Amino acid sequence: MALTISCPVCGKRNGYEFRYGGEDKGPRPDEKGLTPRTWCDYAHMNACVAGVQKEWWCHKNGCGVWFTIHRNTLTNLEVDGPEVTS
Amino acid sequence: MRLERLPTLRVNPSEQCTVNYHGKSYQGVAGDTVATALYANGVRVFGRSLKYHRPRGLYSLDGECSNTCMAVDGIPNVRAENTLAKNGMRVAAQNVIGSADFDWMGFMDKADWLMPAGFYYRTLHKPARLWPLALRQVRKAAGLGKISPDFKMKGRFSEIYPTADVCVIGGGPAGMSAALAAAESNLRVILLEARPWLGGCFDYRVSAFDAEKKLFERGRELAARVEAAANIRVFKHAPNVGIYNNNLVTAFQIGPPDGAYDERYIEIRATSVVVATGCIERPLLFENNERPGVMQVGCAHRLARTYGVMPGRRAVFSIGHDMGLEAAIDLCDLGMEIACVADIRDDGQAPDLLMALAERRIPFLKGWVAARTHGAKQVKKVTLRSIEGSVKRQFECDLLVASAGFTPLTGALTMAQARLRYDAHTGYFMPTQLPAKMHVAGTMTGRNHPLSIEASGRLAGLRAAADCGADNADAVTVADTHLGRLPGPERGTKLVTAPVKGRKSFICFDEDTTVKNIKQAIDMGFDVPELIKRFTSAGTGPGQGGIPGHNLPLFTARYQALSGATPLPTVARAPLVPTLVATYAGAHHDMCKRTPLDELQKRDGGVFRRIGVWQRARYFSEDLSCREEVLNVRNNVGMLDGSTLGKFRLHGPDALKALQRVYVGNMAKMSPGKIKYSAMCNEDGCVIDDGVVVKLSENEYYFTTSTARAGETAEWFRYHTRYDGWDYHIVNLTDGLGVVNISGPNARKVLQKVVDADISNEAFPFGGYREFTVQGAIPVRAMRLGFVGELSYELHAPAACMVSLWEILTEAGKEFGIRNFGVEAQNVLRMEKCHIILGVESEQRTNLLDLGLGFLWDRHKTDTKTVGTVALRQAEGDPNHFRLVGIEMENPERAPRDGSIIVDRRIRGYVCTARRSFSLNRAVGMALVEAESAGVGTRLEIFEDECDGRRLAARVVPMPFYDPPGNRMRM
Amino acid sequence: MFQRFRPLWGKRPHLNSSYDAVIIGGGLHSLATAYFLAKEQGMSNVAVIEQRFIGFGGAGRNTAIVRANQRTQENVPLYKEALELWPILTKELDYNLMFNNCGNLNLMHSEAAMNAARMNVCTAQFHGVESHLLDPKQLKEVEPTINTSPDITYPVHGAMFHPPGGVIRHDAVVWGLAKGAARHGVHIHQQTEATAILTDGGKITGVETTRGRISAPRVLVSAGGYSAGIINRMLGIKLPISVLTIQAMVTQPLKPVLNHVVSSGMYHAYANQTLKGEIATGAHMDPWPNYTTLTTAHYIKHQAEALSEFLPFLRGVKFMRHWAGLADMTPDMAPIMDGNDPIEGFYMNCGWGYFGFKSCTATGRHMAAFMAKGECPERLKPFGLKRYENHRLMGETAALVTYTPDN
Repeated sequence: MALTISCPVCGKRNGYEFRYGGEDKGPRPDEKGLTPRTWCDYAHMNACVAGVQKEWWCHKNGCGVWFTIHRNTLTNLEVDGPEVTS
Repeated sequence: MRLERLPTLRVNPSEQCTVNYHGKSYQGVAGDTVATALYANGVRVFGRSLKYHRPRGLYSLDGECSNTCMAVDGIPNVRAENTLAKNGMRVAAQNVIGSADFDWMGFMDKADWLMPAGFYYRTLHKPARLWPLALRQVRKAAGLGKISPDFKMKGRFSEIYPTADVCVIGGGPAGMSAALAAAESNLRVILLEARPWLGGCFDYRVSAFDAEKKLFERGRELAARVEAAANIRVFKHAPNVGIYNNNLVTAFQIGPPDGAYDERYIEIRATSVVVATGCIERPLLFENNERPGVMQVGCAHRLARTYGVMPGRRAVFSIGHDMGLEAAIDLCDLGMEIACVADIRDDGQAPDLLMALAERRIPFLKGWVAARTHGAKQVKKVTLRSIEGSVKRQFECDLLVASAGFTPLTGALTMAQARLRYDAHTGYFMPTQLPAKMHVAGTMTGRNHPLSIEASGRLAGLRAAADCGADNADAVTVADTHLGRLPGPERGTKLVTAPVKGRKSFICFDEDTTVKNIKQAIDMGFDVPELIKRFTSAGTGPGQGGIPGHNLPLFTARYQALSGATPLPTVARAPLVPTLVATYAGAHHDMCKRTPLDELQKRDGGVFRRIGVWQRARYFSEDLSCREEVLNVRNNVGMLDGSTLGKFRLHGPDALKALQRVYVGNMAKMSPGKIKYSAMCNEDGCVIDDGVVVKLSENEYYFTTSTARAGETAEWFRYHTRYDGWDYHIVNLTDGLGVVNISGPNARKVLQKVVDADISNEAFPFGGYREFTVQGAIPVRAMRLGFVGELSYELHAPAACMVSLWEILTEAGKEFGIRNFGVEAQNVLRMEKCHIILGVESEQRTNLLDLGLGFLWDRHKTDTKTVGTVALRQAEGDPNHFRLVGIEMENPERAPRDGSIIVDRRIRGYVCTARRSFSLNRAVGMALVEAESAGVGTRLEIFEDECDGRRLAARVVPMPFYDPPGNRMRM
Repeated sequence: MFQRFRPLWGKRPHLNSSYDAVIIGGGLHSLATAYFLAKEQGMSNVAVIEQRFIGFGGAGRNTAIVRANQRTQENVPLYKEALELWPILTKELDYNLMFNNCGNLNLMHSEAAMNAARMNVCTAQFHGVESHLLDPKQLKEVEPTINTSPDITYPVHGAMFHPPGGVIRHDAVVWGLAKGAARHGVHIHQQTEATAILTDGGKITGVETTRGRISAPRVLVSAGGYSAGIINRMLGIKLPISVLTIQAMVTQPLKPVLNHVVSSGMYHAYANQTLKGEIATGAHMDPWPNYTTLTTAHYIKHQAEALSEFLPFLRGVKFMRHWAGLADMTPDMAPIMDGNDPIEGFYMNCGWGYFGFKSCTATGRHMAAFMAKGECPERLKPFGLKRYENHRLMGETAALVTYTPDN
């Protein structure tokens, strides 16, 4: 596989310029009322989707921006939206 | 001897080239491969097979099997058949005891009944004590080539990374047509060809292309046009080895004999790819189908036409395709006696070829096939049978040209995740779904008519151009219509094996896997090709799928015909052509960072170590305990190059919010001219970094990180503020600034000599931050820190000024005997102060509280969502964590080695760092231990490696060990 | 000498409508669990459900390296038990697992790494497992192919030497365990995909498959890299797992030249010579989750660069085949083995990352006991899922691990 990622600033670039930042789980939950279980869900648990997932990337060897893309984990290709298009 | 005047030759018979084989010189000509040079001199047996030590000869010319794998100049498994011979090459046969012709292991061929499929798994383990002995023999018997453990590869290797609009894989007529078509749109085109010349299946053939030209002439005409096109970059002698999604194509190029490199790794990013890799032949399965003297059609034909070497005197042909007839006719015309041509097909032969056979009185049998060859080391006789097996005839010969038909080279397609399906008409595995921006062309689509081959190439090239935005829809339509009018894919032969039992019908030459072995495997439940491959090893040898790649699925499907199985393709994997480790490694530059003071540190005798990306001076003497370096800091003054420290500028209206988010301390409580020590945690509350922060002005901060974290700090800030839209900027100054740490009771005296500012303890106390210039010229940011526990200044200055700064300080310190100290001395000094180094005094799971750094955490910070604090609150008080403690050994002379474990009946912790302290005359250290063993006064037993049951005794003591009140760093 | 060629793990069995246990996944952990359920726990009415063919996944793609020199006392005894099981199983299964106990060498490239390795060595020695530290000179004597010269990127400072480790023929373990399980009555259903796990009132009731519904009171998911996805999709239980591809490759076959398993954390590579003579080498993981099992150009090149330095003789050898498998990584590099929580009768055995092969037999044995008795055996207790929310990570990694393209 040869991953490419579309950086919102720099455009489509070699995937190795980027750092993966995890599945998109939304902003951090409010600390009030957090139980160890709910915190663990946010901090550690993953959906491990076999298909399209929304995820975070950082253009670490480029402009440094964090952004989300949709990627199909079955093909390792970036896709336009949350639906499987194949 | 040579056919010297053929217009198709790719060798130069007038220029000689000598190779040395088994101590004898063999004369070849320029352009010969190692194998053709040997073959021209009568060598027929090139090596012995893996299991049965059967003699093996020249079978193909493209390295599809290990038959001609030889040792060349000490390099094992060199494919002699497509490795250009060079003057003075030393060549040796492989897997032989004796020589290729007389191999003492030859008797193994009779022992095949002892070695059915998977016999290893069922034997040699009973009784159990047999296995260790057998293991040694198994290892010795396995493997083909030999290499010496201290082998040093010679040669020059390089690498390039071109980009292209269109990359065409395969320089045959289809590939060349594709490249020319794509080039019409002024795109950048790259053409890869594995052989040293362009031309593919046209290159050696003398059949008519049209009224004026023969095929080889047409091939050369196309090649000339390709080479003349300014926007086509041609890589010849450059086999494609990989293709990855988003059209990343890899290859390597073999350099010319006197070129700048021997092999060159090529990695191409292309917008669109045309795969025109053509076909190889599908081996015919019959008894002794790999005897020297049996070869494929293309091999025999090219041997004569390309290399000018007659493959034999009297030949039998057993073929299933018109190219076989064409070769028989041409070789007959070149003077070879053709004893018989057996064609698997009952019909479908081109009428002109049949006529040509008849004109030459070549005996021709339709519906016949080779069933067995006879002869021990070379074919002497061939038995032909009618397809159904009822009738047989025998012919004496020294050459059997055998081929069941063609099979497309689909490796590039499978690697690129194209879906392949068995196509009943052609008998090929054909793509049913191609990845985006990938096209196929040429004979691999089943088209064999020269015009169809070129037209399919042109169409693919135009479509690839369209992928790159070329406005050529009309041209595509025209080319498509044109192709539609030309002859389409041809019918292929379906025959899988000759009517034989298959005990010595080899489906995989490299692994000595017979048809019988495959049947055995299927009978044992290994019923899909991938499992059969694993169980019988078929297709896992040096030639990979080249020989069995097509026959294995066909045979498997046929053997399971009752269950209605359709052939499933086997998986091709990179590298599509075996590739030297040296070639992949390429130029291989080791990249590391060196500090601005690197040269000076070397001059002073620094012993360097690679620490992460940096080279750092660890010692400045042979004494690994660093006694002198340590005592000089304690009693006098020393200097350390701390330039690897992470250094950052953070500014903007929301800079403070960002600091509050990642640091556990309250960063709002900072006063000007003072430094704040703090730590960063991850979401588990585990410490990932510590450092100091300085507030330079409103909304402007300067902070340091550990060396290891410097690269990730900016990301970390941005990640943890990614939802907030805050306005701040973070600038990594790590490489732009250098750091000198000047430490020891005389540090101020040295520094005061070179600065005008007042740096007295009152004016610049411990924990302070000042900016001043050294000798009125070098701008310095100075911090008073106490990592080593003495009066200490950390001076940050522009990298370009660091050498001057260092030399000024060295000069000023001369009267005090200032000297370097290295990373290890610093390690001892800070250990005596119990200042931790993350990763040494912490594990991945060690949190802020475990390290006793809870005082850094401001629990009253509200609304900062500080990273790690949720987990810290939840984990607080959990006794189930290792805690950091200070330990003192009962024997003051003997420190335990770092990494020793702390035990009673089970493991209670481990020693992180421990040293015999020169300053204290005690053996002390830091350890991570279970909470119940962490109380001061607890006696610990230490288990060192190789301690033989003798444990060391220690006691938990308060930290730090050296100067507990911290007076010395506040001097 | 040879029996007739009969199917090794029996003819394709009929899919019963009910089993005492269903195991999803046809890899090593599943087959080992099934084998020990039938053999030691008296539960032979067991179905192993495999979507493709047994050994398709990690079981057939792994390093095949076995060792018991891990870092913590939770791990070492488990791996030690596994190491001791190979010869026993060879005999029990009457199938040659081809254990080549050639010994493992872990290269260390700094003083700090040697100190970190000492903890592993001490832990091993404390548990009666042979393991030693070697200096470069000793190392060179043990394994002459290693480059101990100082002029490479990461000069070798020494090594951790673990003589009882080595290499097993991984396929043989798959087939041997399948044979043994089938012989004890286990049904191995290949080309059968589990599509749903059925529960009722917090209890497991069965499994829906592409070949029909099975009722069963207990289900184990041990489907390697596919486990976390299956468990989330079918039961809504998320796990702290990232599924990465891990790559490996072999060179063309050579006569014996490399006599140990050699690995280097710094170069992030291992290499050993298989019984077929190939040098098997690999270790790289791309740091983003995917299920492709595709290889990368980046890595094969990187591997060549690494091998050129610490095993320079390999520069004259050719890579022949490069493949990838899935590694389900957990944050603390230790597996998750748990059961009956939160669903009664539901068991999981996953998160084995790239080290699932070494322990598969011992793990299978304990999982079998867990499933048969419903009580978690002592040895598996530290590996429960709750450790993450309780902030009690395992100590298998000394330092924080981040994956980059170059490791």
